[in-house]
Amino acid sequence: MVDAMTTSHALAHRPVRLVALGALAIVLAMAAARAEASAPLVRVDLLSEQAGLTAGGEVWIGIRQRIAPGWHTYWTNPGDSGEPMTMEWTLPPGFTAGPLVWPHPERIPVGPAMSHGYTGEVVLLTRLTTPPDLVPGRPVAIGGRAGWLVCEKICIPEEARVELMLPVLAGRAPASPDAPLIAQARRAVPVPSPWPATVSVAPARVVLTLAARELSAGAIADVWFYPGQWGLIEHAAPQEARVDARGLTLVMARGPLPAAAQAPVEGVLVVKERIEGGTVSQAFVIRGDAERGTGDPSVLSLAAAIGLALLGGLLLNLMPCVLPVLSVKVLALLGHADTSAAALRRHGLAHTAGVLTCFVALAAALLALRAGGMGVGWGFQLQSPLVVTLLAYLFFALGLSLSGVLSVGGRLAGVGHALVARPGYAGSFFTGALVAVAATPCTAPFMGVATGFALTQPAPSALAVFLALGLGLALPYLVLSLAPAWRRWLPRPGPWMERLKQVLAFPLYATVAWLVWVVSEQAGPRATAAVLAGLVLIAFAAWMRGISQAAQGRRRILAAAAAAAGLALALAVGGFTLGAPTPTPATAAADGIPWEPWSPRRVAAARAEGKPVFVNFTAAWCITCLVNERVALRSPAVARAFAGKDVVYLKADWTNRSPEIAAALEGFGRSGVPLYVLYPPRAEATILTPVLTEGTILEAIEKL
Amino acid sequence: MPNARVTRRRFLADTGLGALAAAGALAVSRRAEAAAQAKVGAAAPAFAAPATTGTNQSLGDLRGKVVVLEWTNHDCPYVRKHYESGNMQALQREATGQGVVWLSIISSAPGTQGYVTPPQADELTSSRKAAPTAVLLDPKGTVGKLYGATNTPHMYVIDKAGVLAYAGAIDDRPTSRKSDVQGANNYVRAALQSVAAGEPVKTPVTRAYGCTVKYA
Repeated sequence: MVDAMTTSHALAHRPVRLVALGALAIVLAMAAARAEASAPLVRVDLLSEQAGLTAGGEVWIGIRQRIAPGWHTYWTNPGDSGEPMTMEWTLPPGFTAGPLVWPHPERIPVGPAMSHGYTGEVVLLTRLTTPPDLVPGRPVAIGGRAGWLVCEKICIPEEARVELMLPVLAGRAPASPDAPLIAQARRAVPVPSPWPATVSVAPARVVLTLAARELSAGAIADVWFYPGQWGLIEHAAPQEARVDARGLTLVMARGPLPAAAQAPVEGVLVVKERIEGGTVSQAFVIRGDAERGTGDPSVLSLAAAIGLALLGGLLLNLMPCVLPVLSVKVLALLGHADTSAAALRRHGLAHTAGVLTCFVALAAALLALRAGGMGVGWGFQLQSPLVVTLLAYLFFALGLSLSGVLSVGGRLAGVGHALVARPGYAGSFFTGALVAVAATPCTAPFMGVATGFALTQPAPSALAVFLALGLGLALPYLVLSLAPAWRRWLPRPGPWMERLKQVLAFPLYATVAWLVWVVSEQAGPRATAAVLAGLVLIAFAAWMRGISQAAQGRRRILAAAAAAAGLALALAVGGFTLGAPTPTPATAAADGIPWEPWSPRRVAAARAEGKPVFVNFTAAWCITCLVNERVALRSPAVARAFAGKDVVYLKADWTNRSPEIAAALEGFGRSGVPLYVLYPPRAEATILTPVLTEGTILEAIEKL
Repeated sequence: MPNARVTRRRFLADTGLGALAAAGALAVSRRAEAAAQAKVGAAAPAFAAPATTGTNQSLGDLRGKVVVLEWTNHDCPYVRKHYESGNMQALQREATGQGVVWLSIISSAPGTQGYVTPPQADELTSSRKAAPTAVLLDPKGTVGKLYGATNTPHMYVIDKAGVLAYAGAIDDRPTSRKSDVQGANNYVRAALQSVAAGEPVKTPVTRAYGCTVKYA
């Protein structure tokens, strides 16, 4: 077997003289004028989307490769070997060709290596701009020299001159018979990802996360990331995909080029989705700076991480969720000026033990979850709306107690009152634990780097980092309790302490406001309403508790019971946040064409008026649906066509599985989305293809 | 030096399993801990393979010398670009003239493109006026896979201390056109100059280009 340099010159310079002969003649001329390079393994020719050129216009030109069975050609990043196609245009004066636009590749394993390329047939695209002074009449030759490498087991470089004669038309050029091939190619060109993507690069792995929370693992047949450049990832290594509540996570082996992580990460993510009747590939452009620092142990040693954690913990003391709680505790120290130094020291140690115990418990839970395969990081507890709700209640109750709603005799009271206000060392221990819990929603500078590092380390190192974080958090109070001399520098206890406490309530209320916002983002308006109602109940319970503390006898018991009932009710209402449906993302709202929600009655009413109806059965978790909406349904041409034929556009959103929509789908013999149905005014409904292009919709509308 | 510590720990962790597997495969390997997947900046994995002369060539015997490994397949258009233009032979003469050991390695499996018997390999050397120190035959692909060689030509430079200093393409023109040799930036020449001067290689890792290695 010998690789051969093959050059083919297959030029068809047939004169084309047909400009005035109408569409049929144009079609025939296109077929005749298409010059085809007859290279042995890849036949390359040029296609035009329009049947002719117009002055000062744009036309999409396709470079079609028809590849011999068993052979393949290459994508822009060819993978571990190979070479992408090159095109040197020779164009008439004033014409310009844009860069080549590449449909997404497939992966082609070759021994221990991986290639990215195409088999069968592929059409590369380019946008051709024509000069404004183009005179209708004379046909124009568009062409150039294409060079490519085609491989099976062996590789053969081939090249050919390709040319396409196109007539110059006055007015608008009709679509050419090759337009569907161009449209099909365009459908395979990656589109911007509908979901935000992040890429983090560690020395051994590259992790791509797509924040597509609506995806369901069962519908995804295959996921592969094709980096734009060689060296970022190991092309041939398996890519481990995971779909969970956070979206899609793809873990890849880090490639050999260190500099690849410095440049912005670019590439194409191809997701194969199972829809009714087969699978559909969707390709998304991924572009962004690689996240560095977090989870990149190459810049951190364990000692440095522990140092950063300690610093982060110290800074946590200044965060709005911690500072008020801690200040009150410090004020309490001030109040007990008579306490012996030894007792004070023991209080400080108990407090520290409380903080550390809580941090170790959190770290252990985190590590256990990760060991169980959950992709969670620091702050994982805040991903549950229920936990966020409970924290909002806690901070609100603490705030109310600082505001004086239930403070009695200057003591810290409220939820946790019994524990925090307990005079013994247990009280100090539980304040420590409370401070640690209060610190969880807050992130201090340096903390992210340290915890990110900790999570890439074995359990003992990870625990050491979390302990350092806890120690940092406990340190100011510990120091104050170990060296009570500082008390001399403060003013004498007095009414100013009460005022200060009232001021400190406001950072806590601010934290509550933020947490409510988090719930609204996580669980939607109904859950937000539930949390707000819960906060009212907490306020009621706090007030009752305050009364109970001041009252005697039966009144005291009644008020305490009312407080307990308020608290229980608040918790019950808060539990609602868990069951609340996730809000439907606003993907639909940004559509170019105005639409109305679907209902069988609306369909019947519109049809009774004699209007055509287009129904888009879609769902937020359906990738194909979203891509269809982006590439086809939002195009201005489709909007014009809809408006021109007065089409009523209805959208049936199946994100939350309504039985009415399920029944309608069943009526069309379907059990899932996407489904596109067009009702002509006085005829049976037609079902469009599940993978829409602008062309298929326009064609269907045209026929109305 | 926190960096060095992490690198070393990671190196050991990453290569632990690979080292075991490769040590098993390479019965001739004397130094099992070095027999790991090749990584630039780390010790080049030890190997031994028969030369066309019949003698076994072992990397361990070349300690103290700069070594170039060239994966080749005489029928690959990209290899032919560099041999028919005389580029590869010139680089071989230039390197061996300075005391560099140049090993051309053929990992094509029997029946695949580029596979040759020892006499055929020697004939190719003389007819192409090539000047490697030796041509090694690796029809089972053991050495090729150990170094992660994916292309022909795929080039490696090992410094006097036995550390892999360069891995990747021969130059920065990933085409099969002979005319592209002129004016190309030859990464191997640059790496050899840096290694000779005791300096770090400026571009230590590049994407190799060419035909795939025809492993079994």
